[in-house]
Amino acid sequence: MAGGSVSECKEYLFKVLVIGELGVGKTSIIKRYVHQLFSQHYRATIGVDFALKVLNWDSKTLVRLQLWDIAGQERFGNMTRVYYKEAVGAFVVFDVTRSSTFEAVSKWKHDLDSKVKLANGNPIPSVLLANKCDQKKDSSNNASLMDNFCKEAGFLGWFETSAKDNINVDEAARFLVEHILLNDKGVPYEESNGDRIKLDQDPMPAESKSGCC
Amino acid sequence: MAADNLPSEFDVIILGTGLTESVIAAACSRVGLRVLHLDRRNYYAGNWASFTFNGLLSWIEEYKAQQQTPSTTSEQGWNDQIEDEEEVVFLSSVDSSISNLEVFSYASDKSEDDELLNSPVVGSLPKAAEEMNGCHKEAQDLGSSSACTQGDGDPHNLEVKNQDSCLSEESKKTDQQPIRSPEQAVEVKKKITYAMLLKEGRRFNIDLMSKLLYSRGLLVDLLIKSNVSRYAEFKNISCILTCHNGKVEQVPCSRADVFGSKQLTVVEKRMLMKFLTFCLDFEQHQEEFKDFTEIPFLEFLKCKNLTENLQHFILHSIAMVSQDSPTINGLKATQHFLRCLGRYGNTPFLFPLYGLGEIPQCFCRMCAVFGGIYCLRHSVQCLVVDKESGKCKAVIDTHGQRISCSHFVVEDSYIRDDQRMQTTYKKISRAVVITDRSILPSQSDHQISLVTVPPLEPSSPAVRMVELSSFSMTCMPGTYLVHLTCSSSGSAHEDLAPVVSRLFHVPSSCTEESIQGSEENEKPVVLWAMYFNMRDTSGFENSSYNLPSNVHVCTGPDDSLGSDYSINLAELVFHQLLPDEEFCPPAPNPEDIIYDGDQGEGAIFEGDSQKEEAVIEGEDGSQAHKQHGATCSSEPAESTDSIGHEILTEYDIQSPPLGNSP
Repeated sequence: MAGGSVSECKEYLFKVLVIGELGVGKTSIIKRYVHQLFSQHYRATIGVDFALKVLNWDSKTLVRLQLWDIAGQERFGNMTRVYYKEAVGAFVVFDVTRSSTFEAVSKWKHDLDSKVKLANGNPIPSVLLANKCDQKKDSSNNASLMDNFCKEAGFLGWFETSAKDNINVDEAARFLVEHILLNDKGVPYEESNGDRIKLDQDPMPAESKSGCC
Repeated sequence: MAADNLPSEFDVIILGTGLTESVIAAACSRVGLRVLHLDRRNYYAGNWASFTFNGLLSWIEEYKAQQQTPSTTSEQGWNDQIEDEEEVVFLSSVDSSISNLEVFSYASDKSEDDELLNSPVVGSLPKAAEEMNGCHKEAQDLGSSSACTQGDGDPHNLEVKNQDSCLSEESKKTDQQPIRSPEQAVEVKKKITYAMLLKEGRRFNIDLMSKLLYSRGLLVDLLIKSNVSRYAEFKNISCILTCHNGKVEQVPCSRADVFGSKQLTVVEKRMLMKFLTFCLDFEQHQEEFKDFTEIPFLEFLKCKNLTENLQHFILHSIAMVSQDSPTINGLKATQHFLRCLGRYGNTPFLFPLYGLGEIPQCFCRMCAVFGGIYCLRHSVQCLVVDKESGKCKAVIDTHGQRISCSHFVVEDSYIRDDQRMQTTYKKISRAVVITDRSILPSQSDHQISLVTVPPLEPSSPAVRMVELSSFSMTCMPGTYLVHLTCSSSGSAHEDLAPVVSRLFHVPSSCTEESIQGSEENEKPVVLWAMYFNMRDTSGFENSSYNLPSNVHVCTGPDDSLGSDYSINLAELVFHQLLPDEEFCPPAPNPEDIIYDGDQGEGAIFEGDSQKEEAVIEGEDGSQAHKQHGATCSSEPAESTDSIGHEILTEYDIQSPPLGNSP
């Protein structure tokens, strides 16, 4: 892209959901990833809808990631379909210092799979994030347990992350995007997107069917 | 997902997630009010909801269950929370806004044959006559009405239907008509079975209420103004059809259509263009209509010497008013139609991808983004009213928790009859039909059509029909989803079944001979159909209810094509709550939110300017999963290429079409 060189390049826009219990650090992860920021102070997410991250994936691929935060207050799990629709990947986040948030992971995964599917009917690729690993007290390694859990629950994999210390956030995102791209190649997008209308666009000039005059 | 307790104090509690309530919720939340938004159902949008096919079947089951055992759950736990100077006002725990629900299935099902073998009562048309267990008076007539739309009242019909099996059908074809037509459909194209409808059920988004958006209507304006539009995408309605002289014809509405029309004579084209041009700014030509203002529009059209053809198009398909509507209403409606042309396409209308039920949810998302709290399956059992001020100061929810509020907004269906000043309602008749092909198959590129059906008989209602293809993301490929709507004069089935059997091939209603006829073959075959009535409380005002002054009732959807009524009501209620606040100011774009690391996670909104950042282009076009075959260069890749598009659609007042109009 640099230098204005014109090369054939594919551009993707992917909607990725970030879900999990209240206070597990969903917003912090998004902010760390997109804005390279972290804040100790906690406030339930207000006004944050989704954040955009542009990845120069390789010389021929540009990926725009749209990371959708659950509006912090949709906390009773009653997400609107607006949130889920057309998502192609998801992070399910839990807090390693609070086991209750891990117990809720299966519920979130189940909810996710019931609300959104790929065009071919498969579940969307999802990755489990064990966040706040910087605060982990016991250093016991549950890696094989976690691997098994992911296998059973249908996660592609899991990462220990820390939004605070910037651990593994980029890696997890890269891992997910790789899988989304695989899906995208495997399953051609079937819908005719061409004449979908976004209302905030400048209205297109009306097409005329017949030129007879 | 945690079921922790709700906070005990809010500024506004809103009960019901239909369009009006959801807009109010978003508007309140957006200007900083603490909003609690509840719905007793387990889905969003109330009577505006849309369902997958399987979801709709569950909805039907719930309706049946409710008819059988009217809920008598008397919630407890409120008595000890009421003080001496307070009294309680109970809400209704039962939603009675839907009635006369009837379901018919004509799609055959191979996979059910096995079950049928074991079953003593087998249905040739699986799930046909899925009547509501007789709990409804209307449903008692089901057998006769479903088996034969010609009104054969023979009660034996029901038995016949329930007794022929697919298997016996094969062997004794002599007197069993119903099965013939699905079989016919197979020969023509791939057969859609009931099992396929279930399997692909998630591809359906079946709206309870059917409406379109006028491209310059209040809802479109509000979506744009508030930035809620970022959550939705739309399709333009690709053609407008009408049922005329027993045929389905395309309505010439744009200038290009008029020119291209094969049905109109040259003289008619000129007449029509002249009349429409007049309508566009009719206020400027008082002399043309001042004597007709209160006289029926049809009289005015006749007086203008328009041919019967043109009268039909203008009255039924463009103005879409009834024959006896006053001329002034007809002119206003025609003008509105014309002004909406060309904004987004060749017709004045838009339809939201994934169905109308998407729209209330868009506003709910906006409300939640600004801190609104959402609970489904959660209702309010009673209001706590201060005896002295007569105002509602709190509610007791269905979990027995007392929650304070300054205002309470509630959908009409939660109100008890004894709190109403009037208990007679208008109703809307609805039918949902899944068919195997489009009503106008020759038109290859059309994806969504509006079909206006004038009254079949003088006493019957005018029916509005919207046919959706799978491109609208509301039905599975290979099927069409058809919504019929009219204001009720009888039950939905009485009002709409005659239209369905006129326009579609309803398998059980035709004789073998007529199926063979080529004409019948071209009609879309009905695979599945549902009829119901919905209460229309749109005429009610706050004075129609005997409730505290800070309780605001939102009526449900009205029977008109657009949503202006509901948006007007939302704005009205919002200004009753907050007279000085702006209604739905634009939400900031995500890329304009600046995080301040030192100040916690508070997002600071950097105005609403459309500033573009270096990496993030202003127009994010949130269509995920979309693959651009774009060329990367330093230039913005997506400069919409508009070359080759002719702007012919909008009426050009300056230069009247077809030149020399007198």
